[in-house]
Amino acid sequence: MALLELRNLSINYGPIRAVDAASIVVDSNEVVAIIGANGAGKSSLLKGIAGLIDPSGGEICFNGSDISQLSAHKRVQMGIALSPEGRQVFPDQSVRDNLVLGAYARRLAKSELERELDEQFEMFPRLRERADQLAMTLSGGEQQMLAIARALMAKPKLLLLDEPSLGLAPLIVKDVFRIVRELHDKHIAILIVEQMANLALKIAHRGYVIETGRITTSGTGEELLRDPAIRAAYLGAAKSVA
Amino acid sequence: MLAPYIQAMLSGLAVGGIYALIALSFSITFTTTNTLNFSQGEFVSFGAFVGITVLLFMSGATSLSAIPLSASGGLNYPIVLTVAGVLSGLIGIVIFVAAVRPFTGKPGMSWVMSTIGFGILLQNVGLLVWGPAPANLPAPLGDNVIRVLGAGVRPQELLDLSAAVVIMIAYDLLMRKSRVGKAMRAVAHSPQTASLMGINVQAMMIGAYAASSALAGIAGVLIAPVSTASLFMGLGFALKAFAGAIIGGLSNARGCIFGGFALGVIESYVGLWQAQWREIAVFVLIIIVLAVKPNGLFGARLVEKV
Repeated sequence: MALLELRNLSINYGPIRAVDAASIVVDSNEVVAIIGANGAGKSSLLKGIAGLIDPSGGEICFNGSDISQLSAHKRVQMGIALSPEGRQVFPDQSVRDNLVLGAYARRLAKSELERELDEQFEMFPRLRERADQLAMTLSGGEQQMLAIARALMAKPKLLLLDEPSLGLAPLIVKDVFRIVRELHDKHIAILIVEQMANLALKIAHRGYVIETGRITTSGTGEELLRDPAIRAAYLGAAKSVA
Repeated sequence: MLAPYIQAMLSGLAVGGIYALIALSFSITFTTTNTLNFSQGEFVSFGAFVGITVLLFMSGATSLSAIPLSASGGLNYPIVLTVAGVLSGLIGIVIFVAAVRPFTGKPGMSWVMSTIGFGILLQNVGLLVWGPAPANLPAPLGDNVIRVLGAGVRPQELLDLSAAVVIMIAYDLLMRKSRVGKAMRAVAHSPQTASLMGINVQAMMIGAYAASSALAGIAGVLIAPVSTASLFMGLGFALKAFAGAIIGGLSNARGCIFGGFALGVIESYVGLWQAQWREIAVFVLIIIVLAVKPNGLFGARLVEKV
């Protein structure tokens, strides 16, 4: 059974249709990439899954139940965590407190919380160094690490990553993708939305291409990487980075 | 020689503490819900009258004017503070659900009118229950002036100041150290992102309104023994407190507290010099502060890193 299944999901902003009858499947322990141009509806799709926007049609099934009417905080409790576009760390709180907030819904005992913080610090050593600094003092790359680590503190079954490479230097982008690979080894399903299609498809089992709200193509990462139309549309510019 | 100045300072701080409490109550709803309760003044009056009514029952007196001066003694005053705080908090939840929530996240500022309207409603219910006459809430520590460095102060003024300081320190610690406080600050920064942490944003907003209204009610019970309680007294306090919040910066709780205290002290000193200039000085000060720092003294917006 699929972990996440979108059936004809549509999302509107007023009269504008951002996502148009999208159907997507993510299995547990699978990395799935959604690629598409700026404004194609990638972020809206993730926001719809996380519960930040109400869908105007279709179904979102997670773990076998329809969650499309649940509010965002309930979806977190069910095991969906989003690392949002633009990081959105809490700038006036310390790195540690940002992580603690990530586990808010789980009501962990203090010892358990410390153990899980330690786990994140193992994976993101930079964050340990800066644990007591305010998040606003972090560099863009560090903030991205924090956003991912914070999402992981919710112990998600499905991690949604929205443009993790946005605005980061190429070296740091590589670092971020190395971490995504590590996460996959920890048996977390990942749905990643990226403009850097090349990088995303290299680590993804499968991918979907979204154009003006519609899913136009899907296939394994390798298939999409080889597809001449996709290469022309999305991979040309990204090549130089990887 | 110095006595009048010390006296002005102490009464300024006492009334400033009340302003600070109410200013903080404005800041709480502003940061979490982006709305303000414009009937906060009515909540102050309401709190005071709830307090007086509780004393009425506890002392067994037959009318509001017959409450003995000793009624606030012992544990009675803390009980009164608690009851007034809880009841005001509950009504705060009502105002949020009935008059604020329907308009949050929508364009326009309908909540301005709806909260003012709720205040009128609350005041009129108050008039029905308690009548328009002022009432006296006996001071728990009596009215005998005590001498501090030669200046004469009423015990209630010192009590107000200390209570305000204790409440605000407690609030500050709660917001910085506790799980709920951190979540509250997360909601203040971004409700959307907070919901991604699994925080129930709606519940937090309800909690914010409850806390804000409870503070206003408590402020009413604290100030009533100093200035006779009337159902119309709250507006003046709320206006000054709002001014204090604007001076300090609505988005910054500590700034609001500072603004409240500053306003109380400045008002008190200007009053020492020329009583009729008090109000004018206060509002001239606001204009100057806003001209120089439109977000208030400490209300600087956080700069986000790209």
